[in-house]
Amino acid sequence: MDFSLNEEQRHWQMEARKFAEDEIRPISVGRDQIADPKATFDWGIIKRGSELGFRTLAVPKEWGGHEADFVTQALVMAELARGDSSVSKTFSQCWKWSHLIAASCTKEQKERFLTPFMADHGFVLGKGGTEANAGSDNRMPPENDPKAGWKLRAERQGDEWVLNGTKMFIANGSVAKLFFVDARTNPDVGIREGSTMFIIPRDTPGFSIGKVFNKRGWRFYQNGELIFENCRIPHANVMGEVNGGVKARANDKSEFGDIELAANALGICDDAVGMAMAYARNNKRAGKLLIDHQLVQLRLNEMYMLTEALRAFVLRTAWERDRKMPDLGNNVLVMNYSQEVVQRVTRANMEIHGPAGCMMHARVDKLVRDAMVWTHLAGDTVQRVKVVKRLPLTTG
Amino acid sequence: MIDLRLTPEQIEIRDAVRDFVNQELKPAAIDPKRLEPFEKPLMTDFLDQLSQMGLRGLGLPEDAGGVGADLLTSCILLEEVAVGDVDLAVVLGETSLLACGMYAAMNDAQRKRWMPKFEGNDRFHLALIARDADTERGWSYYQALPEDDLPVGTPDLSAKRSGKGWVINGLAPFVSNAPVAGLFIVQAKIEGEDGTVTVLLGSDAKGLTVDEELPAFGEGGAHARWGHGAIASVTLDGCKVAEEDVIAADAARRLLHGDLHARRTVQMTAINVGVSRAAYEAAVDYAKMRWQGGRHIVEHQAIGMKLADVAIQLEAARSLALKAAFVADHPDAVSERSVNDLPWHAVARTFAAESLHRATLEAAECFGAMGVMRDMPLQKYVHDTLVMKHSMDADLASPLVVAEAVAGYTR
Repeated sequence: MDFSLNEEQRHWQMEARKFAEDEIRPISVGRDQIADPKATFDWGIIKRGSELGFRTLAVPKEWGGHEADFVTQALVMAELARGDSSVSKTFSQCWKWSHLIAASCTKEQKERFLTPFMADHGFVLGKGGTEANAGSDNRMPPENDPKAGWKLRAERQGDEWVLNGTKMFIANGSVAKLFFVDARTNPDVGIREGSTMFIIPRDTPGFSIGKVFNKRGWRFYQNGELIFENCRIPHANVMGEVNGGVKARANDKSEFGDIELAANALGICDDAVGMAMAYARNNKRAGKLLIDHQLVQLRLNEMYMLTEALRAFVLRTAWERDRKMPDLGNNVLVMNYSQEVVQRVTRANMEIHGPAGCMMHARVDKLVRDAMVWTHLAGDTVQRVKVVKRLPLTTG
Repeated sequence: MIDLRLTPEQIEIRDAVRDFVNQELKPAAIDPKRLEPFEKPLMTDFLDQLSQMGLRGLGLPEDAGGVGADLLTSCILLEEVAVGDVDLAVVLGETSLLACGMYAAMNDAQRKRWMPKFEGNDRFHLALIARDADTERGWSYYQALPEDDLPVGTPDLSAKRSGKGWVINGLAPFVSNAPVAGLFIVQAKIEGEDGTVTVLLGSDAKGLTVDEELPAFGEGGAHARWGHGAIASVTLDGCKVAEEDVIAADAARRLLHGDLHARRTVQMTAINVGVSRAAYEAAVDYAKMRWQGGRHIVEHQAIGMKLADVAIQLEAARSLALKAAFVADHPDAVSERSVNDLPWHAVARTFAAESLHRATLEAAECFGAMGVMRDMPLQKYVHDTLVMKHSMDADLASPLVVAEAVAGYTR
């Protein structure tokens, strides 16, 4: 076994650590405390990160990207998340969909969409699946109900498709320049057989952004409502085949989306551990340094233990993906595990800091609020239940 | 004998408060326009209405103009208020608790001077500024309490004799009810001596300044507000107190070193139950309505397990809160050996703080992404129970208060 990182992996890790420490972290709490959810975003930090290569890290070299392997991607996500989890997610959301473009777009589509994506530091990507009445149903469509899942309708008129409907909670919703949108092209069958994925530039007539959602955590990250009113999309913007939208997504075998949340959670845990240790070594309760209290020693032990276990699981899973080893569910399991770990570690950090009268350290509180986002993203029941079909008959 | 039935009067007043909460207070409290902003000004109109229902003077004897309720009844009612709004429950609980303690500590002349002001004005609330007798509980497990190593937020007031009265100076950074108080009970350290003096100070006293209510983010964003009710810092600058407003030393000791802290802790447990119950009720309604996976989500085992767990935690926490209240109302239950000799307030608070935060998070999880949206109440319930889980009364060390009692350790 060899747990060492190669030179390139180490290089990107250090670049990300420096950028997070010097530039992301200083703006993190301030952005979190802006009341208007549309105003929390900071283009400056995204453009600066893009100049350093973080926006296009996952794009294949033939298209001008860095084609970083999954271990590198996991390391970079964790380092950026140590500065701010939702800034890290804004970058990695672009990697997620650049994996999809690489796997499922035609050469002509790559030229039309990847080229401008590479050229513009403010070019961010998004994908719309979720709707008000279609959440879990999209991930695990019920067999007895073909109508379940997204309802956004696309109807063909000659060489164009006309889209009508609304998407909810869409990541990078209010900032992305290009979206991948799931639509029903055959309403009589289930979404696996009857939907198509469309590539839709932000400035397409008939496409507008509605509400930007106001969240408890990940406040920098923009989740928006996508509204389509007789929005006309050329047939050339269909990704994969008509009624093959789910398959187009499935062609992307990287399972990147699942590692992503786990790696991001790892960064939050690293941040929490660092904060807790520094606080415990420099502050007293009842006349003794916190670190000299067994209560605190046990909590620190738990924080380190869980964080290192998560790190091992994240990097091993990324390493398996880099080697294209059979996917036996670790991608999902590591994501589910990260949900529990990130909650426990951020709560332990809060226990060690404790309240100061009627005040709480703002960043300690922020980490707990950010961690809550994992409860419905990474640990939700549908993900946990669904993976069981892929698990091997035994472990080890 | 153990009897869990409520009296017809308890049920009647509980249901009256419940109806008011469900029909009026809660719809206003969970209006997205109130939920979304960080700052949530106290809903004083509703506070006044609840005061008119008698909740401001719950614990006060009937002949003093109160309801004469025991702590158990107070807990039942504060839970109901907290289902609607946690801050109002905390304000009312504090005033009611202090009214009861203050009335017992006052002499006749003080009662004559102050009680009509309290009774005659529904907006007249009470606040206490005093050093907590045992701020480092738990942290000082099996060791002497440190003298000068006090936690952040401890009031620092000193009193100097001036003729027959006193002059008080100093700062108390976090005073519950300060923004709505008509009367402050103030304990100050006597300059150059070991002792303290406890006085009554009207909010209009010269030299007393109540700062703005604690903002959502303080110290340039370094800290987040962490507490419920109405909290503000109070400055006393050369505040003159006449001798007639000094509380007799033995009465002050009974007030501040008696079971005030334990009673407040029990009330806070009941309020914690109310917050979680609001989340639970919302989750049950939503699970019956939301359709995913080919059925109402309540019909999925995974959601059923969550709802069951929330219901179980809620009932267990409420049982402990009411047991702790019963023991505070009937100390003889311990001396007669019906109930174990434990700090029940700490048992109840510690259990409730941990289990109810978890339960509230589970209730929010039933809502998927909507659980984290600020225009929905679930994230607020989660945050409110988080604040209660990590408070000066319930923190990492608080179970050790119980351990000391179990071990029979005394200082």
